[in-house]
Amino acid sequence: MSGGRGSNGNSNMYNGNSNSNSNSNDGSDERLLFLRSVGERNEIGFPSRFKSAHYKKPSRRHKSARQLISDENKRLNGLLTKANKAAEGSTTVKRLVPKATYFSVEAPPSIRPAKKYCDVTGLKGLYKSPTNNIRYYNAEIYQLIVKPMAPGVDQEYLKLRGANFVLK
Amino acid sequence: MSSRDASLTPLKAVVIDDPPLRQTPEPFDEQSTYDPQLPIAIDFGSSKLRAGFVNQSAPTHVFPNVLTKFRDRKLNKNFTFVGNDTLLDQAVRSQSKSPFDGPFVTNWNFTEEILDYTFHHLGIVPENGISNPILLTERMATVQSQRANWYQILFETYNVPGVTFGIDSLYGFYNYYPSGKQTGLVIDCGHEDTNVIPIVDGAGILTDAKRINWGGHQAVDYLNDLMALKYPYFPTKMSYLQYETMYQDYCYVSRNYDEDVDKILTLENLDTNDIVVEAPFTEVLQPQKTEEELRIQAEKRRETGKRLQEQARLKRMEKLVQKQEEFEYFSKLRDQLIDEPKKKVLSVLQNAGFDDERDFKKYLHGLEQSLKKAQMVEAEDDSHLDDMNDDKSTQKFDLLDIADEDLNEDQIKEKRKQRFMKASQDARRKAREEKERVAKEEEEERLKEQQWRETDLNGWIKDKRLKLNKLIKRRKEKLKLRDEMKDRKSQVSQNRMKNLASLAEDNVKQGAKRSRHQATIDNDPNDTFGANDEDWLIYTDITQNPEAFEEALEYEYKDIVELERLLLEHDPNFTEEDTLEAQYDWRNSILHLFLRGPRPHDSENIHEQHQMHLNVERTRVPEIVFQPTMGGQDQAGICELAETILLKKFGSQPGKLSQTSIDMANNVFITGGNAKVPGLKERIVKEFTGFLPVGTNININMSSDPSLDAWKGMAALAQNEEEYKRTIISRKEYEEYGPDYIKEHKLGNTKYFED
Repeated sequence: MSGGRGSNGNSNMYNGNSNSNSNSNDGSDERLLFLRSVGERNEIGFPSRFKSAHYKKPSRRHKSARQLISDENKRLNGLLTKANKAAEGSTTVKRLVPKATYFSVEAPPSIRPAKKYCDVTGLKGLYKSPTNNIRYYNAEIYQLIVKPMAPGVDQEYLKLRGANFVLK
Repeated sequence: MSSRDASLTPLKAVVIDDPPLRQTPEPFDEQSTYDPQLPIAIDFGSSKLRAGFVNQSAPTHVFPNVLTKFRDRKLNKNFTFVGNDTLLDQAVRSQSKSPFDGPFVTNWNFTEEILDYTFHHLGIVPENGISNPILLTERMATVQSQRANWYQILFETYNVPGVTFGIDSLYGFYNYYPSGKQTGLVIDCGHEDTNVIPIVDGAGILTDAKRINWGGHQAVDYLNDLMALKYPYFPTKMSYLQYETMYQDYCYVSRNYDEDVDKILTLENLDTNDIVVEAPFTEVLQPQKTEEELRIQAEKRRETGKRLQEQARLKRMEKLVQKQEEFEYFSKLRDQLIDEPKKKVLSVLQNAGFDDERDFKKYLHGLEQSLKKAQMVEAEDDSHLDDMNDDKSTQKFDLLDIADEDLNEDQIKEKRKQRFMKASQDARRKAREEKERVAKEEEEERLKEQQWRETDLNGWIKDKRLKLNKLIKRRKEKLKLRDEMKDRKSQVSQNRMKNLASLAEDNVKQGAKRSRHQATIDNDPNDTFGANDEDWLIYTDITQNPEAFEEALEYEYKDIVELERLLLEHDPNFTEEDTLEAQYDWRNSILHLFLRGPRPHDSENIHEQHQMHLNVERTRVPEIVFQPTMGGQDQAGICELAETILLKKFGSQPGKLSQTSIDMANNVFITGGNAKVPGLKERIVKEFTGFLPVGTNININMSSDPSLDAWKGMAALAQNEEEYKRTIISRKEYEEYGPDYIKEHKLGNTKYFED
C-alpha cells in the first residue's frame, strides 16, 4: 500500500506493466485508497475518543489576529479606566499599573538613525530619486531601474521598508 | 571580449523544487507502554508542533502545524490530514491550512483536530478524556483570549487534570541551565516574532522584555517579495516552500552588513558567493528538421529575397529619375531667378507652389541631399550588377535627339523609356565616379596619416586621442539630450514647448497687425539665415526628426570605433579596457552582477531564463532582525534591545555594569528555529563585544538544535517535581478562578497588571 508517491496526483509510476489507458486511473485509485487508509487510521472526522464524555462542540466566532489584538487592547483599557475611576477619591483602592501586556513588551523604535540602503539592490543607498523616493546605489541603477520604473512598482519597492502610501 | 567570456566556467545552478513528498504516514506510538499519569509536553508552535511524553529525551512527534480537509468524492466523505500526513500527497499538501493567523491561534476547531491527532499518535488510551497533565508553550505576554480558549479546550474538551503554561524561550533557557537559578539573557528567534528576555535567578523579567514583530515567516515572505521585484518577468511562480528552502539553505547573517555589502557585488566575491537557483520546468524540444528540408527552406527564402530586392530596386530607380528631373528643373529655375527682382521671384515661386524663397531653398536642399544619398545606395547596390548593365549600355538612345512632333505614339513611348534608361545609367556612372573619387581621397588621407605617424607618433596619438575625447563627449551630450527630450518635464522639452507656443502666438499677431511690424521673421534684413548651407542642418534636428538623430548617433559611434581601432593598433598605451565598448562591459555593471551574477547572460538559454541569482539577498534578509527598519518595522533590533537591557537596566550605569548585567552577558542564550541561520551567533558576539565595556566576559550559547529547546525544557521541568508542582493549574483552580487566571512562575507569563 505504501508504494512510491510521485509529485503529481495521477502519476502512472505505480503500474508500470499495465497498458497506458487504464494506467492513470489505476494510479489515482491506488493513491486514493492509500489516502483513505491513512485518513481512516487517523480517525479524524470520526467521533473523537479523546474528548470528554460531556463534550459539546462550542460555538466559536472566528476572529483574525488583528481583531484579537484590538480586542485585547479594548479589554486592558477597559480594566484600567474602570479601576482608576474606582481609585479616584478612595484611599483603599490602588490604581492599576500595567505590568506585562502584549503592547508593553513591543520593542520601541530604534534611537539610532535608520541606515539608508538601496531599495533595489540592498547596497548602500546614498541617493534618493526626487520623483518617487526610491533610494538607489548609483547612477546605473537609477538610469536602468528607478527612472523607467512603471507606475505602481515604486510603491512595491517602498512597501518593503514600509514607506509606501497607504490609502485609508 | 568573447574569448575572455569563454574561459569562464559556467556556474552551477541548484534546482529548487518543493520538498519531496513523504512516503510513509506518521507512526503511532506503542499503546502498551502508555502511562496515564505521565505528563505530556506539547510545543504548539506556529510553524511546527512538537509533542511527546516527558520521560523521552526528545519529542516523539515533530510535524508542521497544519491540517488539510480532503474531500473523497467517490465515498462522499471528508478526510482530515494533519502534520506530516499532509505531505503524503501533492493535492493534500497544497491545500493545507494552519490554525494560526500570524502569532495567534485563530481556528480552534483545527486546534482540536490537531490535538486529537496528536493524542492518537502518542498512543494514549483515553478514559473520559485525557488523564495526563499537559505542559504547553505560550507566546510572551500573549493576549488573554488565547489562554481562555486553551483552558476551555484542555479542561472542558479533553478533561485534563492540570496544565502548565510557559514561555517557549524560557523553557529553552531552563533546559540549558537546569539549575533554574541562573541569571542570563534569552534571544528567541521564532517563526512569527523575535524576543529578547532578561532572566534573573532563573525567572523571566517580562517588564523589561521586548518583542520584535519579525520572524522566520516574515523573512521568507520578504525574500519572496525581493525576488519577485528583482525578476519581474520570471516565467514561473515559486511557492512559499521553495522560498523557505532558499532561506534555510543559502541565507546567512553578515558579521558586518555595511562592510560586506560594499564588496559583495564584485567578480571575485560572486564567483564563490553567488547562488544560482533554478525553477524546475519541463523543456520543450523542437522537432529537428533534416538537412535537405533546411536547404530547400533556405533556397526558397533566398529566391523570394532576390525577387523583392529586384522589385525594390526598380521602384527606387524610377523615383530617383523623377527626383533627378525635378532637381534639374528647379536648379535651372534658381539660376534663372538669380538676377530677377524680388517681387518677380516671389510670384514665380508661389506659382510653383512655394511659400517664399526660403521654403524653396529648403526644398531644393532636401532634394539634393536625398539625391546624393540615393545615388550612394544605388552605387553600392549596383556594383555587382554593373557588368550586366554595361552590356545594355550599348543600347542606342537614338530617339532622344528627335523632337516629339516627329515621332509616332509608339516611338514617343519608346523615347520615354530610353530617357529613363539613360538617366539611370548616367546617375550610376556619376555615382561610380564619385565613389572612385572618395576612395582616392581616402587613400591619400591614409598615406598622409601614415607619414605623420612615422615622423611624429606622439603628436599623432595626441591628436587622435583629443579627437576621440571630443567625439565621446559629444556623444554623451547627444544621449543626454535624447533622454531629456523623452522626459516631458525636462528643461529642454519645456524650452521647446515655449518656443512652439511663442511661434504660434507670432502667427496670430501677423494677421492682425501686419502693418505695424517693421521687421518680422520673414523680412528681417539682418536675417541671413539660409545664406550658408550649414544653416539648413537645423532641419535634421532631433526635435523634428528623431530618426535622423539616431542615425547621427550611430554614425558617430562608427567614427569612435574607427578611431579606437587606430589607437589600439598604434598607441601602446591604449588597451581594450579603454574602449567605449569595454566600459559597457557587463563586468562593470553593478546591475548585471546583481541580476545575473559573475557570468555573461544569455537571454535565449531556457535554463538561464528560469534562474535567479541570490547574492545580496542572502544577507539582506536575515539582517532585518538587527535592523527591523529595513523590513518596515519601526523597532529597534535585537542587539540594540540587548544593549539597553544590559547597560541601562538592572542597576547598570554608563561605564559601570551591575553584577546582574555582568551575569547576563556571561549567559546569553540563543534559541528558536530562526536561530539556525548561519552566522547569527558570531554576529551577536561581535555586537556585544562592541557595546559592552572592555574586558566584560561574554558568553553566548546555543544548543545543537534550537528548535527543540522549548520542548526539552518542558520535559526537564516536569522531571523536577518540586518546581513542576508549583506551575500546574489544576482543574479545581480553573473552576474556581475562571479563564482569566494566571499562575505566575519563573518560566511563565506574568499578570497583566501590578498587584
